[in-house]
Amino acid sequence: MFHWLEERPFFFAVGVFLTIAFAGLIEILPSFVEASRPTVGTKPYSTLELAGRNVYIADSCNACHSQLIRPFKNETDRYGMYSLSGEYAYDRPFLWGSKRTGPDLHRVGNYRTTDWHENHMWDPISVVPGSIMPAYKHMFSKSADLETAYAEAVTVNKVFNAPYNTAITMRDGSSVTVKLPATYDEAKADMLTEAKIIANSMKNQDVKDAVEKGEIPQIVALIAYLNILK
Amino acid sequence: MGNNQHPLAYDYTVTRLFLYATILFGIIGMTIGVIIAFQLAFPELNYLFGEYGTFSRLRPIHTNGVAFGFTVSGIFATWYYVGQRVLKVSMAESPFLMVVGKLHFAVYILTILLAVVTLFAGITTSKEYAELEWPLDLLVVVFWVLWGVSIFGLIGIRRERTLYISIWYYIAAFLAVAMLFLFNNMEVPTALVSGHGSWYHSVSWYAGTNDALVQWWFGHNAVAFVFTTPIVAMIYYFLPKESGQTVYSYKLSLLSFWGLMFVYLWAGGHHLIYSTVPDWMQTMGSVFSIVLILPSWGSAINMLLTMKGEWNQLQSNPLIKFMVLGSTFYMLSTLEGPIQAIKSVNALAHFTDWIPGHVHDGTLGWVGFMIIAAIYHMTPRLFKRELYSKSLMETQFWLQTIGIVLYFSSMWIAGITQGMMWRATDEFGNLSYSFIDTVVVLHPYYTLRAVGGLLYLTGIFIWAYNIYKTISVGRKLEDKELNVNKSPMSAN
Amino acid sequence: MKNIVIVTILISLALLGIIFSYVGNIIGDDMVNILSMLAAIIILVITVGVGLKYVNQMKNDKASGQLADENWDGIGEFKNELPIGWAVSFLTTIVWAIWYWFSGYPLWAYSQIGEYNEEVKTYNKKFEEKHANISDDELNNMGQSVFLVNCAPCHGVSADGMDSKAANLTKRLDSISVKHVIMNGSNDGLVGEGIAMPDRNGLININTGNSISDAEISLVVDYITNGFVGSQGAEVFAGVCSACHGTDGTGIPMVAPNIKNFTVDLITAVLQYGKTGAIGKMPSFKTEDMRLTATQQKAVATYIIKLQEGSK
Ligand code: HEC
Ligand code: HEC
Ligand code: HEC
Ligand code: HEM
Ligand code: HEM
Ligand SMILES: [Ca+2]
Ligand SMILES: [Ca+2]
Ligand SMILES: [Cu+2]
Repeated sequence: MFHWLEERPFFFAVGVFLTIAFAGLIEILPSFVEASRPTVGTKPYSTLELAGRNVYIADSCNACHSQLIRPFKNETDRYGMYSLSGEYAYDRPFLWGSKRTGPDLHRVGNYRTTDWHENHMWDPISVVPGSIMPAYKHMFSKSADLETAYAEAVTVNKVFNAPYNTAITMRDGSSVTVKLPATYDEAKADMLTEAKIIANSMKNQDVKDAVEKGEIPQIVALIAYLNILK
Repeated sequence: MGNNQHPLAYDYTVTRLFLYATILFGIIGMTIGVIIAFQLAFPELNYLFGEYGTFSRLRPIHTNGVAFGFTVSGIFATWYYVGQRVLKVSMAESPFLMVVGKLHFAVYILTILLAVVTLFAGITTSKEYAELEWPLDLLVVVFWVLWGVSIFGLIGIRRERTLYISIWYYIAAFLAVAMLFLFNNMEVPTALVSGHGSWYHSVSWYAGTNDALVQWWFGHNAVAFVFTTPIVAMIYYFLPKESGQTVYSYKLSLLSFWGLMFVYLWAGGHHLIYSTVPDWMQTMGSVFSIVLILPSWGSAINMLLTMKGEWNQLQSNPLIKFMVLGSTFYMLSTLEGPIQAIKSVNALAHFTDWIPGHVHDGTLGWVGFMIIAAIYHMTPRLFKRELYSKSLMETQFWLQTIGIVLYFSSMWIAGITQGMMWRATDEFGNLSYSFIDTVVVLHPYYTLRAVGGLLYLTGIFIWAYNIYKTISVGRKLEDKELNVNKSPMSAN
Repeated sequence: MKNIVIVTILISLALLGIIFSYVGNIIGDDMVNILSMLAAIIILVITVGVGLKYVNQMKNDKASGQLADENWDGIGEFKNELPIGWAVSFLTTIVWAIWYWFSGYPLWAYSQIGEYNEEVKTYNKKFEEKHANISDDELNNMGQSVFLVNCAPCHGVSADGMDSKAANLTKRLDSISVKHVIMNGSNDGLVGEGIAMPDRNGLININTGNSISDAEISLVVDYITNGFVGSQGAEVFAGVCSACHGTDGTGIPMVAPNIKNFTVDLITAVLQYGKTGAIGKMPSFKTEDMRLTATQQKAVATYIIKLQEGSK
């Protein structure tokens, strides 16, 4: 029968295709049903956080950092509670990474702070002697792409029903609403308000000045993102 | 062997173009590989080109450069050579297929060059081996479809009734990558939906755990159908051809092929062990990975058995050396991968340098060596010139072999050490090492790896030089000198 | 070529030797470590072994078989049977796969979270038994190891705060912090949630009846940071601060913290709630976040308290 196929390229190709497509179906489809439900307390990213996430992606931090705490005692000791599927419900794309040249960051917001990140991103070895992480000084002067972040929030809201402007119940029972204004100008004003809080805990004068002028340096957006990784 | 008496006038225009691309992207991709390897040992090297020179910007350029530049060009170059020969038709017989071939090359080159530029600029979707944003994805689809037209076009006008083993593997590579690529790159352009922001930005169609599943279903099989099946296609042609030997066992070829097709796709779960995907799916990844050893080894063994009794060829012909050691490295990485896929081993190996170690056993030892050998074999026949220097080939072989050994042994040590240090607890049950402790110990191994990479890269430059010299000053060959198995090469 | 074989074996041995010399002392009885070392050995042995087998055939055997009819570009095919070793191994892996699937990690019964819970339970039990009556010295050692992993990234390996990037823990308080607290008040939950210290407007000197003056502030700051010496500062302290912090500055439970020395309660409170001050922000290490247990918190506190003794 195989020899028969080898003389008939069309059926041969169909045979190969069915063989490989079959596994894909079984492997992927079943989990789509249950995996996407958010856990309690998981909320969509604010536009500033999305801008920061895009900085994280543009500079491929995921090349060195994972965001997936595996259920081993040594990992929960180091990084905190193991990761749950529902926590990633609004992660498009997912950022688990596949290599830990640096530590996991899935809950880094629990144990690092704005000013620590400021020092560390400016010059890692000044806080962690022996670090091999590159310094990211350019993030202190380049502005984050706020409009694209806004576009992204609107898209996930429209296309994937990400629950913006909706009350979301947190783990402690309180409720939080992530705002997504109808116009970009309003959204930008909100981002600036959020950014100012972060810039206030920072020391770099250029960053503070930029925020004062209505621009948000990449580092501020990135820190907003790192801080909510909890 | 009556087939060689009236050789067709094969048309190698497109092969030649892809051959240049293979060498060019090999140099670019691996030079960047060496740079990032040195950056991990000496972080000051991150600041040579401002924001464009950091490890994290360069790493995706390395992976894309070697996988989609070097390897895929090599696949295309050999396709346009092997395809014509084992189907016994010439591209020259079909003006349509000639146009398709040239267009294929043009769109491909444009895409890869744009990929390099956009990755430098930090335009990426972050998914490994699928970093390109949607406009480039579309270009990829175009050149992939053109390749498909070329494959099935040539098959359509073939003279050889049965398809040779190599053709099976090329077809599989074409189909699988097409399917995987389409599903993994489902993205929604944000500017289109919202009317705001940059036009090329997109978000993934899938979220979180689902996104991870699709990504590693893709990622694992991208390895299978870029770094494995087309390379198997190459060895099934170039080794018997260069050595003049008969393929050892049709049955083994057959079972290995269909076994590989059936088993490979199920194994993707081994990238997600102890993640948040369902337990049964992870176990499935482990189980199928182990079963995968044999279909993988089948091809390698078939090739080694083909060389039975040919020890003298192995000693005298550097091309055969590349290919035989290549299949051995293929065996190494297809045993190593499955064993790393066992849950308790993956618990340690995942996230460590042992994985890049495994990756480069396969890519440097198998993919790299096979492509190098294929191009050495084709060059005299494409340009009708004798290979410029056999002794340079020998030098290259040994430099690169030492390079691979340094690369993989250092990464084994680094990975296992790091994995164990992360897990280690002291007498009180506390973690013994802070993260930075586990970074600092790796310095010697990162340095060794970089040196190994540098040796391998030196070999690549020797290879490029040898090919360049062959094309420009190699002794011109008569047609009859080309109808031999062993590639004509000058001894100096 | 024989040399290659020998070299390969030597390299393999050297490789495993180096790995072992590095990790030999941390492998312990961790199954994952043991299996991984075993895995490394198996990969090398099988690959090299099988490779050698075929090298041997290349040297001593001769290919033969019945030719198939086809021939492609000069390449022919033998109709040889499957190598028996290959076929048997294939079946063996399938059997193994079935075992793993139904018995090793049984499809319906295995859960990685269950495995994790088991791991933690076993560990906790062992830990409690072993450290039921832990001595202060042991607490201190345990604390040091907690400190180096969790706190050193901010406070520095020597706990000096790395150039004021975080608090200097070798000393109870520095002048910037004391001044900052007096000027701005403080509400970090150091003695319990919601118990705050007022800012300077609420700090009345009972001797004068006025809120604290600039001059008094600098006097009291010096007094505290010099280790509670200086008569003028002492007067201000008695008038303004002692009502809450106690006459000697060692604090009053549920009223105000000890500002003379570190105490276990103070440090565990900092770990629980975090702390925002003149230097910056200290993140919390809440027990719920699962990074530090109560014992570990107590241990790291003991370690910090001991640091003061060391520096005196
Ligand atoms: C070359 C690899 C590399 C790259 C790229 C990299 N990092 Fe790191 N990162 C490290 C290493 C190594 C450490 C541990 C040493 C240290 O703290 O500096 C680290 C530590 C960190 C930490 C501290 C986490 C902790 O628990 O201590 C944060 C936060 C961080 N990196 C964020 C980033 C961000 C954001 C990016 C991208 C813009 C990035 N890193 C890119 C290697 C890298
Ligand atoms: C009304 C009561 C009250 C008075 C009066 C008072 N404190 Fe406090 N103080 C507190 C409380 C409560 C806290 C803990 C606040 C917290 O949890 O952040 C505190 C915290 C502090 C701290 C911070 C300790 C740390 O570890 O950071 C300092 C320093 C301090 N007081 C100094 C003073 C000085 C100096 C004075 C007098 C000039 C003074 N306090 C007067 C109630 C008081
Ligand atoms: C992300 C950085 C960071 C980490 C991690 C960190 N600290 Fe801190 N810590 C700080 C900063 C910043 C301060 C100073 C806050 C202030 O301005 O009062 C501080 C203050 C403190 C204080 C209060 C000192 C005082 O005099 O009031 C204690 C106690 C302390 N840290 C202990 C610890 C311990 C124990 C750990 C580890 C388990 C730890 N810290 C981890 C940043 C950090
Ligand atoms: C039987 C065949 C193979 C199996 C079962 C296998 C298995 C694995 C496993 C378990 C991982 C590690 C996943 C992780 O923990 O992160 C991995 C990673 C990888 N393997 Fe293999 N492997 C095989 C063959 C190969 C070959 C031949 C190559 C290349 C020529 C290759 C290239 C890679 C690459 C590139 C990665 C890295 C993926 C990433 O970015 O994380 N593999 N493989
Ligand atoms: C000169 C030779 C090379 C050197 C020095 C080199 C170096 C590197 C380095 C340093 C990394 C990053 C590892 C990390 O993040 O820790 C890497 C990743 C990678 N390289 Fe290479 N490389 C070389 C050649 C190649 C070739 C020829 C290929 C493919 C044909 C290849 C494919 C890859 C892949 C797929 C990854 C990603 C691995 C992963 O994510 O696990 N490399 N390489
Ligand atoms: Ca990877
Ligand atoms: Ca894409
Ligand atoms: Cu894989």
